[in-house]
Order: sequence, then C-alpha cells, then structure tokens
Amino acid sequence: MSEIASNKALESAKKDQDIKGHMSESREKLSLFLNNRLGMFGLMLVVLFFVSAIFAPYFATHDPFLMDIPQRMSGPTLEHWAGTDQLGRDTYSRVIYGGRVALKVAAIGVSISLFVGLLLGMLAGYGPRWLDNFLLLIFDSIRSFPTIVLALAAVALLGPSLELVLAVVIVTSIPGYARLARTSTLALKNTEFILAERSLGAHPAIIMWRHIMPNVIGPLLILAAMDVPVVVTIEAGLSFLGLGVLPPTASWGTILNEGYLVIRDTPWPIIAGGIPLVLTTLGFTFLGEALRDVFDPRLRKGK
Amino acid sequence: MSINGLSRRALLQSIAFGSALTVASSIPGISFSSSGGKLTVRFNRDMDSLDPGYYVGGHPDNDVNWCCMPALVHYDYVDGMAVWAKSPFVDRVEVVSPTRIEFKLKSGLMWSNGYGELTSEDVAFSYDRMAQSEWKGDYVAYDRTEITDKYSGALILKQAFAPFMTQTLSSGTGVIISKKATEAVGGKFTNDVPATCGPYVMEWKQGQYVRMTRNPEWTGTKPQYDEIYCPIVTEDSAAALAYEAGELDVAQISSDTYARYLKQVPADSKLTVAGALQYMWLGMNIDNPKMKDIRVRQAIQHAVDVSAINQGAYSGTAELSSGIVCPGLVGKRNQTGYSYNPAKAKALLDEAGVSGLSLTLRTLNNQERILASTIIQANLAAIGIAVEIMPLDSGPFWEMGQESKGDTWKDMEIWLMRYGSGPDPYGAFQWFVRDQVGIWNWERWSSDEFEKLYVELVAVSEAEERHKIAIRMQEIMEETGAYVFLTHEPEVFVHRDNISPRFAPSGETMLSYFKA
Repeated sequence: MSEIASNKALESAKKDQDIKGHMSESREKLSLFLNNRLGMFGLMLVVLFFVSAIFAPYFATHDPFLMDIPQRMSGPTLEHWAGTDQLGRDTYSRVIYGGRVALKVAAIGVSISLFVGLLLGMLAGYGPRWLDNFLLLIFDSIRSFPTIVLALAAVALLGPSLELVLAVVIVTSIPGYARLARTSTLALKNTEFILAERSLGAHPAIIMWRHIMPNVIGPLLILAAMDVPVVVTIEAGLSFLGLGVLPPTASWGTILNEGYLVIRDTPWPIIAGGIPLVLTTLGFTFLGEALRDVFDPRLRKGK
Repeated sequence: MSINGLSRRALLQSIAFGSALTVASSIPGISFSSSGGKLTVRFNRDMDSLDPGYYVGGHPDNDVNWCCMPALVHYDYVDGMAVWAKSPFVDRVEVVSPTRIEFKLKSGLMWSNGYGELTSEDVAFSYDRMAQSEWKGDYVAYDRTEITDKYSGALILKQAFAPFMTQTLSSGTGVIISKKATEAVGGKFTNDVPATCGPYVMEWKQGQYVRMTRNPEWTGTKPQYDEIYCPIVTEDSAAALAYEAGELDVAQISSDTYARYLKQVPADSKLTVAGALQYMWLGMNIDNPKMKDIRVRQAIQHAVDVSAINQGAYSGTAELSSGIVCPGLVGKRNQTGYSYNPAKAKALLDEAGVSGLSLTLRTLNNQERILASTIIQANLAAIGIAVEIMPLDSGPFWEMGQESKGDTWKDMEIWLMRYGSGPDPYGAFQWFVRDQVGIWNWERWSSDEFEKLYVELVAVSEAEERHKIAIRMQEIMEETGAYVFLTHEPEVFVHRDNISPRFAPSGETMLSYFKA
C-alpha cells in the first residue's frame, strides 16, 4: 500500500513539475516576445491595421465613394486630411476603407491557404507514396507559375475582380503551406508515439487530427503571419496593375494607381496610399519574425 | 517561408521588379531626338490590323498606313481648313465631274516582296474591295473604277457625293493595297501586310514598338526623317513623363496633362490640338432584355451628369456633345432633348415598374474612361441602378459588339464608346444604318426614316439642307433612348517646337509630312 501511495505521490509531483515547467516556458516565451521591440512595434501596427479596417466607418471622415468634382485633386485641408482624388473623393477615407480590402484578402486568402495546405501536406506526408508523388507534382506545377503571370492569365480569361485576386492568392499560396506540413508530417510519421498509436489500431484520420496536426500547425501559423504582408502586397500590386478590385472600390493598390496617374498634379494620393501599405507590411513582417524567434528554439539557441 | 518556390524576400523583390518592369516597359528606354533624322512618336496602343477593309481604324493603324501604303490623295490644310491634296503617289488627280475622278499614278513605284509595280489595277481592286468590306459605308457612292492604262483610270460614282474626296479617299480607308499580294494571302490580312509601297518600310514588335525606316526602293518625294520610332506607350502619365524626360518628340496627351500644360507648356515645346472629330457616348443594347423598355433607357439618359464627366474625367477640356456630328461640321446639334434630371429619371424607372436593376458597363481600360464610368456608376446608383464596371483591353473591347466575333453582343447592356469622324457629317452616320447592326451599330436599332435620310444626306450637296437632315437623324438616334451623348474630346499633342507636324482631322499623325 505504502509503495502505491509513494508512486502516486511521485506521479503527482511529476505532473506539478511538468505544469510548472510548461508555465515557466510560456512565461519565458512571453517575456522574450515582450522584450522584442520590433515585434512589439509590429504588433502595434497590426492591431492598428485590424482596428482601422474593422471599424472603418468610425475612422473615416467621409463617404469613400462621395464625389465632389469641384474639389478634385486638392491638397490636405482640415476637411480632407489627405486631400482628394480626381473625382473629389476624400483620400483619407478611401485609404481607411482600402484597409478592409487588404484585410479581407489577407484574412480569407491566408486562412484558406493555411487550411487547405495543412490538409494536403498531411495527406502527402502520411498517405501512400503515390499520393505524395501526385500532390508534389501538383504543388510544383503551381509553384512554377509566377503569381503575376498567373493573375494576368486569369484576368484575361475571367476579367478583374476581388474574388479572382483571392483565388490567385489562395492557389499560389497553398503549395508553400502544404510543403511545410508535408515535411513536418514525414518527420513525425515514424516517431514512437505515432507508431504506438498505429499499433493500437487508431484510424489514420484520427492520428493526423489528434497527433500530427497539433505538432505541425505551429510553424504553419508563423508562416501565415509572415505571409500576410506578401498577400497584402500581391493584392495591392494586382490592383495597381488594374487586375484587382473594380471601381469604385477603394484598395491601396487602386489608390496608388490613381495617384500615379496624377502624380504631376498632386502627390497626396500616392503618399496616402503608400504609407499604410508600408506600415502594414512592416508590421506583419516584424510580428512574424518576432514570433518565429520566440517559437523556434533553434533560433533562440543560436542567439 | 516561400511561395511559388521563392523566398518571401525574393517574392517581394519579384513583385517590385515586375511592377517596375510593367511601368518601365511602357516607357521607351532609349532617348531619341528629332535632330539627326530620327523622330520618336508615341503610339498609345498597338495596331489591331492594317487591312483598311477590316480594321478598327483610327490611330495607330492609319498613321502607319499613310507612311507605308499608297493613296491617291492625302489631307492637307488651307487656312486651317482640311482639304484633299494629291499624294506623292500620283502625277494627277482631278475631279472632272461630280461623279468622275480621274487619276494618273507615278510610274516606277514598286510593291515590296516582289509584287511588281503599283498600277491602276491595284486602285480598282482596292476600291471595289472596299465597297464590299466592313467599311463599305465610306464607299456608299462609289460605283467602279475604269482603267485607262497601266497607270491611269477614273473612279466613277453612282451619284454626286461632295465629301468623297475628303471623307473617303483622304481618310484611312482610301489606302491602296496590292491586288496580287492580297489575293496571294487569301484576300484579307491583319498586321502582316503582304506588300507595302511608300516612303517607309515598317518593322513591328508586338506590344513594344513600330519602327519605320526609309524605303530604299522609294523613288518619290523624300520625307524629312530617316527613321520614325514609335514606342507603344499605353499609359498617358508615362507618356507625359517620357516626353518631359526627352524620350519622345511627339506625344498624344491626356486631358489632365493638357489641362496642366495649358498652365505651363514644357520647355521648347508646343501644343497642337489636332481636331475634335471624336464623339463619345454611353450606348445601350436595345435588344438586351434589361434594356428593352424605352423608359429604362430614357431614365438613363436623364440620370447621367455629362458636365460632371467632362470636369471629372476630362478636366473640363472636352466639348459637351449633343449628338454624333462633331464641332465645326454641318449638322452639329447644340442641345439634346433630354437633360440631367435624376428625379425625372427615377420617375421613368418607377413608371416602367423597374426596381433593383443591375447593369454591366463595359469600357476601354484607360484612365479617362474609367473615371467617366465611375461617375456614371454613381449617377445611376442615385436612381437605384447598380452598375458593375467591366474594364476591357482594346482587343476584346472592339470585338464585343460584332456578331462575327462571338456571342458577347448578346450580353452587352451599356458601354462607353467613342468613334472618330471625318470632316463631313456623313462619316459619323454611316455606322448606325441598318446594315451595320451587329457590325458597328452595337445599339442594334434601325429606322426606316433614318435609312431614307441617310440616302438623302449622301445625295444632297446644299449645306443648309444637309444640316437639317443631320439634325433630324440625330434626333432619331436620341429618340431610341439608346444614347447618352457625352463629349467631343480634342486630340491634343505635345511636340518639340522645332517640329512642324501634320495631322488628319480625326487626329491621326501624318508622319511622312512631319518637318523639322
């Protein structure tokens, strides 16, 4: 009896130790993140981006579509903080609403790419060899198309639209996530705890869902955070080239394009459209790099 | 991380490079000057076809054809008025009677690719073919060509038609093509012209440039420049920047740039308004189920604020349009029968029992048209019509209403369109006759009265009578509800002040006549 009690006490002490260790590790990570100045700056910019996009109607001073042609291409005034565009629309309000397009493309594009990439990557890594080869062939085929060229071809066939931008972003982003998920799955596939699950007769779907996914998702989330600026830039780039959102929707890319066309008359649309794009890109990049530093032990050891 | 096999940084660099390349590709990279026998001229779009019977026409197709293909007459100017003058390809052109035009070609003018000498047989072949072509409207009065000898002949008209020399023969459709060469390629061609004959020979790189250099076999009057290099600069702002940077000698400019240059012209430069023989309108397909009810079309006529379009899209530099006859021509209308009145527009929609209507507005994908479309979109939204703008490149845009080019015409609802005209009102009307439905009459209406008046317009030579006919024809067009007349845009060019240019009244450059 006393031996059993002693064992229980030992187990309990081990559990306490594990919890403490886990908490201590979490605290260490949080501390590392909080001490990363660039990361905190990035987080601040990202929060600003989300808040201004979600609550755009509260931040905007004018209806972004309201035209005031006699006031076209005016510089900054108390009424129009960033001046007006060629149709007299308030540039500041259009920039704020443009954030919604960027957020929509980034959030939807990255989420779907992440989910599908994770699923396909795990299937490729855990499934039979032929499936792995087949999926790799598809990933590599997609990766062989430069995003802009693929977008040009798609627009030529289907015409420009926000949905098309999203589709291009998703299709071209999936292989990146899938390959990372596949590599991690391959590394986990023959570990002892997976072999144990398999020997106990667990269904492959259960193994992937309960045991592989939790171990694979971390790096993918970091990748997703670092992908957001890429996706925002792709949307802005396509819209700048006239392949993205349709008028009168405001997007940072279309604002930049319209500004570029009248740059000799007024520089303000270019400035107003460029600043949020730069800040958002920087914000997500700094945040992503800070998260990577925190969660990747190899990088920490290297420091 | 990586996307598409690129690192994030590499991807960002690729995007930046790609964007820069896109912008840079629309700006010529090499600096040219008008001195030294080289002239650099902006082409604002690529050529669609150089076949005068089956091309879109206008710039840059006519600009190139006038340098590399023969014609009996070309445009010239006397006291600022466009007139016809004999071309360098002929010894004589004479209107001997209202229905007979005699010509004598110069001898020894050779077609390229071994197709022999330019002869009167080529003239007869060309104009007989034109009378059966998509541009047959220009040749409505033409009957036949009588061949006198190898170089001489006479064009015979079915009836007197005063504008034949200026409206038809001097325009881009007056170009002569080689009979043997055209027959050898099956009767039609596009940009791969089977034989050229003119002061210049052409080299074309699709989407990039047209380079015209002296034709070594040319025995006629030598033009000023050894080489005319025409980079295709589709972007108006890029063209203005390139001009200001000295990379272009001549550039067509946008209305925004025109407004800016009116305040301060670039150094050592001049502005030339080549003409305002353009008419732009918002068209409606009366065969489309959404547009069948004339009250819907009339509602749109009342909903569009044309003045706002002129100010917002054209910086106030265009003349407001009341019809398709351009400023300075007989038959120009001074006002429309409708006016900007959103309340009336809404009432018409209510009367038609239409609500929640959504339409697609198709337009060429350039700055001014997109701005004009955005204003129309806002105007129609104000009366409860949701408009989606569909920007199109020039290829699909110019084909969309043609039945021979697919089924898009069935889906067309509303669109922004601009045609160019010659210096006679007849030129503008030819596209709206019954025969042109499904070709260039994309609104797809027809009217017996219009057909009758069209024949009269061709036959009548008295100006006041022609004015009345032209006015009534525009009223008929307006009454269909299928048109909102918008603007007559000026074709404005900026060029070095040591260059003496010549333009067609419809705004194309006549480059072989440019002088330094």
